[in-house]
Amino acid sequence: MVATTAAAPAARPRRRVDDGVMTVGRSRAGTIAANTIGVIFSLFMLFPVYWVLNTAFKPPTEVLALTPTFVPTHPTFDNFLSAFKAQYFLQDMLNGLVVTLMAVAGALVVGFLAALAIARFKFFGRKGIILVILAVQLVPFIALLIPLFLMLQRVSLTDSLIGVSITYLVLILPYTVWTLRGFISGIPRELDEAALIDGCTRGQVFWRIILPLTGPGLVATSVYGFIQAWNEFIIINTLNSPAKQNLMAWLLQNQTTRGTAWGPLMAGAIITSIPVVVFFLIIQRNIATGLTAGAVKG
Amino acid sequence: MSVVETPATRRTGGSTPHRASGRATRTRRRRQGSGLPWLLSVPTLLLLAGLLGYPLVRMVVLSFQNMRLRELISGRTPPWVGLDNYTRVLSDSVFWTVVGRTVAFTAVAVIISVVIGLAIALLMRRVAHGVRMLMIVAMMFVWAMPQLVAAQAFRWITDSDFGVLNYLLDMLPGVHYQNHSWFVNPWQGWSVITTLVVWAGIPFLAITLNAGLTQVPKELIEAATVDGATFWQALRNIILPILKPLLTIVTTLSVIWDFGLFTQNWALRDGHPEPEYQTLATYSYTQAFGQSRYSLGSAISVITVLLMLGVMAFYIRQMFKIGEVD
Amino acid sequence: MKRKIVAAAAIAATLLGAAACGSKTDNSPTTSASGAVDGKGKTLKVWLMIDAQSGWKGVVDDASQRFTAATGAQVNVEYQEWANHLTKLDATLAGNDVPDVIELGNTEFPKYVFSQAFAAINPADYENSGTWLQGLKGACDFEGKTYCVPYYAGARVLIYRTDLFKKAGIAAAPKTYDEFLSDADKLQATQKSDAKFGAVYMPGQYWYAAMSWVKASGGDIAKQDGQKWVGQLSQPSSVAGLQKWVDMAKKYSKADPTKNENDQAGIFAQGEAGMFYGNAWEQGAAEQVKKDPNDPNSKLVDTKVKGKLAAAPMPEIPSFLGGSNLGVTAKSQNKQLAAQWIKYFTDSTSMAGLVKANALPNSTALLDKAAADNPTIAPAALAAKSTWFTPNAEKWADVEKGNILQTMLSDILTGKKSVADGAKWADDQINTTLNDN
Repeated sequence: MVATTAAAPAARPRRRVDDGVMTVGRSRAGTIAANTIGVIFSLFMLFPVYWVLNTAFKPPTEVLALTPTFVPTHPTFDNFLSAFKAQYFLQDMLNGLVVTLMAVAGALVVGFLAALAIARFKFFGRKGIILVILAVQLVPFIALLIPLFLMLQRVSLTDSLIGVSITYLVLILPYTVWTLRGFISGIPRELDEAALIDGCTRGQVFWRIILPLTGPGLVATSVYGFIQAWNEFIIINTLNSPAKQNLMAWLLQNQTTRGTAWGPLMAGAIITSIPVVVFFLIIQRNIATGLTAGAVKG
Repeated sequence: MSVVETPATRRTGGSTPHRASGRATRTRRRRQGSGLPWLLSVPTLLLLAGLLGYPLVRMVVLSFQNMRLRELISGRTPPWVGLDNYTRVLSDSVFWTVVGRTVAFTAVAVIISVVIGLAIALLMRRVAHGVRMLMIVAMMFVWAMPQLVAAQAFRWITDSDFGVLNYLLDMLPGVHYQNHSWFVNPWQGWSVITTLVVWAGIPFLAITLNAGLTQVPKELIEAATVDGATFWQALRNIILPILKPLLTIVTTLSVIWDFGLFTQNWALRDGHPEPEYQTLATYSYTQAFGQSRYSLGSAISVITVLLMLGVMAFYIRQMFKIGEVD
Repeated sequence: MKRKIVAAAAIAATLLGAAACGSKTDNSPTTSASGAVDGKGKTLKVWLMIDAQSGWKGVVDDASQRFTAATGAQVNVEYQEWANHLTKLDATLAGNDVPDVIELGNTEFPKYVFSQAFAAINPADYENSGTWLQGLKGACDFEGKTYCVPYYAGARVLIYRTDLFKKAGIAAAPKTYDEFLSDADKLQATQKSDAKFGAVYMPGQYWYAAMSWVKASGGDIAKQDGQKWVGQLSQPSSVAGLQKWVDMAKKYSKADPTKNENDQAGIFAQGEAGMFYGNAWEQGAAEQVKKDPNDPNSKLVDTKVKGKLAAAPMPEIPSFLGGSNLGVTAKSQNKQLAAQWIKYFTDSTSMAGLVKANALPNSTALLDKAAADNPTIAPAALAAKSTWFTPNAEKWADVEKGNILQTMLSDILTGKKSVADGAKWADDQINTTLNDN
């Protein structure tokens, strides 16, 4: 059942959302009530987002006012400029992108191979691999911080983007394997068998059938990996110095002893969220379906 | 579910397709020597072993030693203490309070999130197109907000001096919320944390469950309506059974995430959660890094993993079956 | 590419379980800062806290320049945030590529000295070492050797609103504690119509303040009894001090009982309090804020209380002597260079620069001159003459990081626990932490 859901984008065209599914008890008053609740819910969800934006556009004196204003009276871009000019901000933004993309790309490549093995082959040890991949998702990474640090230090991979990238790769790998496995098994086996009959080699089956058909799955999977890696801050904050951290760690560091600078903090927070929003927009069609297969939250 | 007979009998070369058996018996998987699949799995297994397995082993070893700052800095092997760390943790009432709190929080947060998530998913089917778009956009924004950012936003909103929440509440007649501190009373503080967690968790739940609802055949519901079923009856007898596998998964996932609560209570308490705001994750982190009791922290982590495994054995079995079937 | 292969091989080696390595540092000789050292081609790695960057970056640069001119070595300074900096330090010290010079808060030092993270230095090599402030130097001493160099200090003073004092008919800063209380009463009376107003801003987890009240009553935090440390907060005199602090805070403060003092200057600047207890520089921080908080050279913007503040020693309350020390790490490959850099950074020239930036110098001999040169810090310089310091116990930093005192203060201020119960609880926690092996 679940596997079907997960494989939906690959296996069959997405059904358009059907307004008529919930027809039970439909009445005019009920519809109005439902719409009202929907709007109120949306406003409730958006309020913190709105408040972050509102704060980010206020000058410092207005941010720290005992009577908050609901629209900036003197809107300003200063907080954003301040964030951009702040030490390490641009550097850390770039680092974050590099580290995240390397981790996601690496996890996709490595994970795809393993997913292929689990989904398409029956072999000795398969159960064991599945069990490992499921179980390691329960391990709290924070607990491994010190051993991890000592190990990476020994091979000179602390304070290095490569070390963090590999760590993040491993962080998102189990779930990547698991999700891709769902997508691959969603491709009817008859397809590759037919191709094999037609004289394709294993390699050709992979390149011409499996890979193209898993495309949407790869995209969906990469999003969650992206979010996971982009949002991480404890590991990178411990492994690396400020010049080699990411934006999340920068946000954490940006609370000085001389009071939290809420304006630039909120501006920085907005900038930090942008890559994820962009990513969401790109893959929005695949979001819902990709989710059910994975086991790591964004 | 047919499990492999004997791989040896099929040793006809790694890449030879088995047309006849594949088609005729509908055996779902090619069988051959395990060379290729193992080759494909090796990179994953190596990475997991190196960066997860090895630190994990070190963590377990550490939990039987007594590593303090001095040993950490000098690199000397810490003294072995056997089960001391475990007896210390398990006989500490503070630890059990933290366990109880973490479990209670997880239960409350998961139930609230899943119920609201399901309600919103159902609501999304009921509202006008424009409203549904609004709901989706709102949820996308929330979802895209990194945990740390969301936590900072909530800290700012509930700030006792400059927070907008106190300001708004104070405007209600007869309510005095000026300079109200939300974290004096742990019930209030945990309400804030739970709200944050639920708020941030709803988009995932609602959007996933909404996708699952598309699987509910329209005809079934219509037939039920004709038979005079109420909404609740349709929900209980038709929708929930169909949604059950998906519900099981999203619920278990929520349990895993909420049980590991760290960022939210950590950030809302400004990096130093008071005793009544500690969860297992922050407690083990504070013990290890705050107090330099690395071994004790490791022991707590080991116990946490064991607890999780116990609770999650169910989940793993469920997922395992899925992985086995296809 | 080659590097990757090396790394992979090394990971493999690690996986095979190479034994822990590391050198003993117990009997290493004292590092000298005198004499010429050739540092050509070398780069010294220095970790300072963020205050140096926002407050006196010029002093750092100047000292580094003089150091480079003398030794030929380059200096690479990295500025750390206070939040979570010890976690990062621990992880770094566990490795082999460590900074050569590290700044830590004076209360944080003992733990690292006991843990052999720092190399012994020779005090005689440094200017004014005979008159180093005891509150700073105490943290460096261990088994007859000195493991760090006092850097700068801060003492807390009473900062008050001159305009509100005038309005309430108060002529001068309070000279006695009773006067302080009656002034608070007067302020409260004149601002009666303002529900948000509190005569004193005293956040609940401000333990440096509360412990000063404890000291004022003759109490103590913990005392050494043979090999063991014993918490003293539940002793009658300590409880009396806590009670005095709670009574004052409850009556006059509208501050959040779960906040610490980090944001107090900014909150005080909103004009809803008459007095607060803070470092000398916090007066400036309350009067003016940086237009761009991320830019060290930013223009300053006046707040509501600009020009309306003055500072005086807090009457009858001895100040906690806060501050920072500098140490040469035991694992440093450039110990002598590191010691030399510290010498430049703590000499009289550098100290004069610090005084200009409203920090207190590291020596009692320089305090009077500092007070004369910079009127802003005069009250703090005066307060620095009567100070107290945290117990010089190996595990003291763990008490701070464990938030024991902060939690206790929140609890007794909000009435969750009585003062006596809270003090008892804190003593238990302190005993466990300080005597923990």
